[in-house]
Amino acid sequence: MKSTFKTSVAALVVAVGIQPALAHHSSAGFSEGTKVVSGTVKEFQFRNPHSWIQVNVTDETGKVTEWSVEWGSPNQLGRDGIRPSTFPAGTQITIKLRPDLTGHPIGIFVGAKMADGKIVGKWSDE
Amino acid sequence: MTTRSLATGLALCASFVIAPAGSYGQSPALTPFDKLPDWSGTWAMTGGTVFDRATQTGKGGSIDPGVREHPPYNAVYEKKYAEHLKLRDEDRYPDVQTNCGVPSGFPRILNLPDAYEFVVRPDVFYIIAENGGNTMRVYTDGRKLPGKEDTWGTYTGVSVGHWEGDTLVWETVGLKGDRDNDSILDRTGLVISDEAKITTRMRKIDAQTLEAQMAIEDPKALTKTWNVTKQFKKGKPGLFLYDYGCAENNRNPVDPATGQTHTLGSDGKLIK
Repeated sequence: MKSTFKTSVAALVVAVGIQPALAHHSSAGFSEGTKVVSGTVKEFQFRNPHSWIQVNVTDETGKVTEWSVEWGSPNQLGRDGIRPSTFPAGTQITIKLRPDLTGHPIGIFVGAKMADGKIVGKWSDE
Repeated sequence: MTTRSLATGLALCASFVIAPAGSYGQSPALTPFDKLPDWSGTWAMTGGTVFDRATQTGKGGSIDPGVREHPPYNAVYEKKYAEHLKLRDEDRYPDVQTNCGVPSGFPRILNLPDAYEFVVRPDVFYIIAENGGNTMRVYTDGRKLPGKEDTWGTYTGVSVGHWEGDTLVWETVGLKGDRDNDSILDRTGLVISDEAKITTRMRKIDAQTLEAQMAIEDPKALTKTWNVTKQFKKGKPGLFLYDYGCAENNRNPVDPATGQTHTLGSDGKLIK
């Protein structure tokens, strides 16, 4: 039953392509283009004013960089079907984001592809 | 019990019985509940947080370079707005709310993301915005607006209103406007002054849509009345609204010296 619920949530999220605005601060310091990073979810901070997905990304030299990926308020995301359990710690994930213009490991969430192929948010090439 | 204490007790009882009827009873002039429109449920503003989309130049949101609005500003306020737009384009015009401490104020409270509740009562109308959270009160109990000497500039000012059929009409004065540089209308840098007076007409234009028409008069900032319309769509039945603790996990403090918005990591340390 639980997995059915999660599947329904994922389907809903894909269907509506939710892209909540950053309600709390400007996103002018972020690229209009997108970047894709893959890694392991460290933590999903489902708290106001914005949600943050923390992802540990390992490069070819073995260096681990923690990315901070910002999303909408949990209030709006919650009404759109997202839950604190949407990104469990330890999950392998590929995230599409709008990267910080100064090159820091920060981005605004666009979409995510889970290991089982489920899409959360917007993944326009799908 | 002595005769004296009995008399004192009776006098006290009498005062409690009489006072509510004389001081707190509902005025018969108020519009009763069953004559008020049904604005129950949850609502969400349509469109982005550009305040006046009818005068918008350029596509995108209020933080996108090239996007501006055209209020009928006088030369002084047009210059001020141009300066705000320049800072916005340099990512040095932080939202006054980013440091989590001030209300959105009016009219920005009708230009917010997330959800709303509009609470209609005979004596008062409440705007409850989840984002912020922000609250505004419009008194509809027949009171008059206070005089200028009795207002001192607040974020949402003071408002009194009345019903014209299913339309709530209210006037707002006593706004602080841009007096302290901590109240804006949106992130393009729109501001009004502490002399603004706003007349709002709010009604349901269909079962799923509420509309607020605002006529902004501001002799200090505007050359003529600035008319702005905002609409709100009804949410699906059964949706919950939640609290919004802006300081709960604010990882974006603003540097007051540069106006730049920083980002903290999950450990609370500065990333940039």
